[in-house]
Amino acid sequence: MSRLYRIGLLLVLILAIAVLLPWQWYPREWRVWYADNFGASGFQEQAATVPASTNDSAEEACPPDIRGWRKSQSIAGVAIKASPNCLADNPHAVAAFVKGTNNVGHMTLMDARLSPDAVVKGRDLDGDGDPDEIHIRLEVFELNGGSPDLDVPVTQYSIAPGVTPGLWVFAPKSAGMSTENFESLVAQPGLRLPSPAIRVEQGDKVIVTLENTHYMPHTIHFHGVDHPFLTESGEGNDGVPVTSEKPVMPGKQRSYEMQPRQTGTMFYHCHVEVQAHVLMGLNGLFIIEENRPNNWVQTFNIGDGFVRHSSVAVKEKYDREYDLHYLDLDKDLGEKIQQSNDPRIVTQLINRDYNISQADFEYYTLNGRSFPYTARDSLIVTAPGEVVKLRVVNGGSEGVALHTHGHKVTITHYDGVEHPEPSRIIRDVVWIASAQRVDLELSTENDGLHSYGEGVWLMHDHQERGVTTNGFGPGGNVSAIVYERYLQDNGWPMTFGMGWKNFLTPGFYQRKDDGSGVTPLLAGVEDRGPSVLRLVILTALVGLLVGVLASWVMRVRSSD
Amino acid sequence: MTKLKMVVCLMGALLIVGHPVYGANEHHHHHQMPGMSMDATGMVMGNNKEKLPDDCKEIAGEYEINVLAGTHYAKPFASTMFGYSEHEWRVEPCSRVTVHFKNEDDVRHQWMLHGLPKYLYDRGMFHMEASGGHAQTGVFIVPSDNKTYLVHCDIAQHMEKGMKAQLIVGSGSGDLWSIPGVSADFERAGGVLSRQPGFAMLLSVITFIVVFIIGFRFFRI
Repeated sequence: MSRLYRIGLLLVLILAIAVLLPWQWYPREWRVWYADNFGASGFQEQAATVPASTNDSAEEACPPDIRGWRKSQSIAGVAIKASPNCLADNPHAVAAFVKGTNNVGHMTLMDARLSPDAVVKGRDLDGDGDPDEIHIRLEVFELNGGSPDLDVPVTQYSIAPGVTPGLWVFAPKSAGMSTENFESLVAQPGLRLPSPAIRVEQGDKVIVTLENTHYMPHTIHFHGVDHPFLTESGEGNDGVPVTSEKPVMPGKQRSYEMQPRQTGTMFYHCHVEVQAHVLMGLNGLFIIEENRPNNWVQTFNIGDGFVRHSSVAVKEKYDREYDLHYLDLDKDLGEKIQQSNDPRIVTQLINRDYNISQADFEYYTLNGRSFPYTARDSLIVTAPGEVVKLRVVNGGSEGVALHTHGHKVTITHYDGVEHPEPSRIIRDVVWIASAQRVDLELSTENDGLHSYGEGVWLMHDHQERGVTTNGFGPGGNVSAIVYERYLQDNGWPMTFGMGWKNFLTPGFYQRKDDGSGVTPLLAGVEDRGPSVLRLVILTALVGLLVGVLASWVMRVRSSD
Repeated sequence: MTKLKMVVCLMGALLIVGHPVYGANEHHHHHQMPGMSMDATGMVMGNNKEKLPDDCKEIAGEYEINVLAGTHYAKPFASTMFGYSEHEWRVEPCSRVTVHFKNEDDVRHQWMLHGLPKYLYDRGMFHMEASGGHAQTGVFIVPSDNKTYLVHCDIAQHMEKGMKAQLIVGSGSGDLWSIPGVSADFERAGGVLSRQPGFAMLLSVITFIVVFIIGFRFFRI
């Protein structure tokens, strides 16, 4: 009786387990046999659609211009053009860069947050009404670095909502704090990616002093800029640690001298451990403008983009001028400065552990931002019948296949050297190799070739990874050529497609499906595997079965 | 090189001196802040020799501290890059503190003190900045409560890499975190294990197994 009882119990258990076991867990052959003999199973309803939730975590697309930086104004006698973009450069800094920080007043310097010796403009050597002795001072700043006391990056700079890769940048010598204020962890507006475009006039006697405020050694190499190998006093002047000079150690400074004979769009970058330092952000445009009378050039263009005080020669030929700096960033490299607060370990992580031949590049920036932040300060704003000058550099490690929707652009210069007019080519995809510069002429003449008319025309790297942020789109270096008629008063473009609100949330670029961006675009699906209750019961039954079998085996053995 | 540097500096200095009256021909909507001075050698903000905090009847003491700053002072503390000659100072409540701040590096450094009464000091801050090779002197008066004040350099990463100190008024209010020679880092544990979690895990597992075997074999009741 007891044996029969036990066998009965076993059979019931096995049957229960067989029923509870999810259908998909059986071998395919068994299921085919079952279906052949008993027909298909009943209709199973699929998991429900998770409704798209609205979210209120979106940032303001275009923050209001409280400080009045966008409007056209005159500061310290310098006429500064209105900036059409949502976020404008600090006009006080623009004025100080044009006149020289030694030639503007105390309050202008305070508002510009610049040191009085950031850009010292001296004598007019050729007597043409503008200064020709230019002494520039650059400092090095770490953005989104680590901290011994906080688990978030410090001196923060976001390239896109919630995206804060570790960065190093050159910046004009500033005064005061690196953050907006003591309560804030966010970098002050003058400290940002990219390292700023520098402008001098052809024939200027230029001194660039690197004041190394950073905890790693650095140098500056002036790529493409006419400069002697040695300074007048016989010191290295090429910025290359292995051939020219020892790097500038933390807390030290070094001066580079040059008097460029040729004009053009050139480049500057740190030459210490270039495989890492350049790609951390230590590279920028260096532009030599044609020598003209009364040509006060804007020595720095912070954040690149729209040039608010173009040189005399550019104004003769062009209606507007934009500096465009493309840079791809390796997420893993940037994270290294956040992993340790010990400069020795950071050095080891970057100089020894980092292997660029194994690297992937996740962030694609234009003027230090990725979409949608590019729309805040890097739209090419224009109007019909204009000629616009674009100075483009690729500071990154991969090429850029720059595509302009609605326009074909003319390449006027490669690496700062002018193409004779008959040999100029017109294209809608311009390939820019690493460190390469191209000067482009964007004509808005509606002739079906140069322009197809007014609109909001996208402009982006056509290598598709370039339009993503950490492999997720839309992001990357996407910007647009926007005609004034399609620009709202606050500088934000009028668009007719999907709303951008979802892109303005940190959750979107973290691929979170928590209603912070992804779900409104793509509805979610309920997660429906076998129910937890079913699996728990199944496990309990299996346990019971094993227990019964074990006790049975033990009893049989002991009776033997 | 040094000669050239001197010439360059001189040229710069002459240029600056050549335009002595900052803002003389400029009309601006706001005025210079009281207790503030700024030139090519640096700046002092929140300078206050006379005004007593509301809770002080009189100046209870006079202190004069000399602070040297630069990469040289990071040497005693491995893992720092910038430092002050001292990272802790003690003064009595309601005392007047004169700080002589000398920067021995070739780049800017700051000596910034936070948490003072906002009615006396703009944003509760006393702030000195010295350009490379220059010195600044500033004065402030501390209130009557026992409190530890943060002193630091706010140039990106300078505080993180060692330029952090504390001013203890009276008995203070406890040490701040990550002051070189005084207190530990709040967020980061030290040592090789914290940097190599895989190695740490392996080591713990092996240790556990060894101890388990020992316990099982030799301490069996």
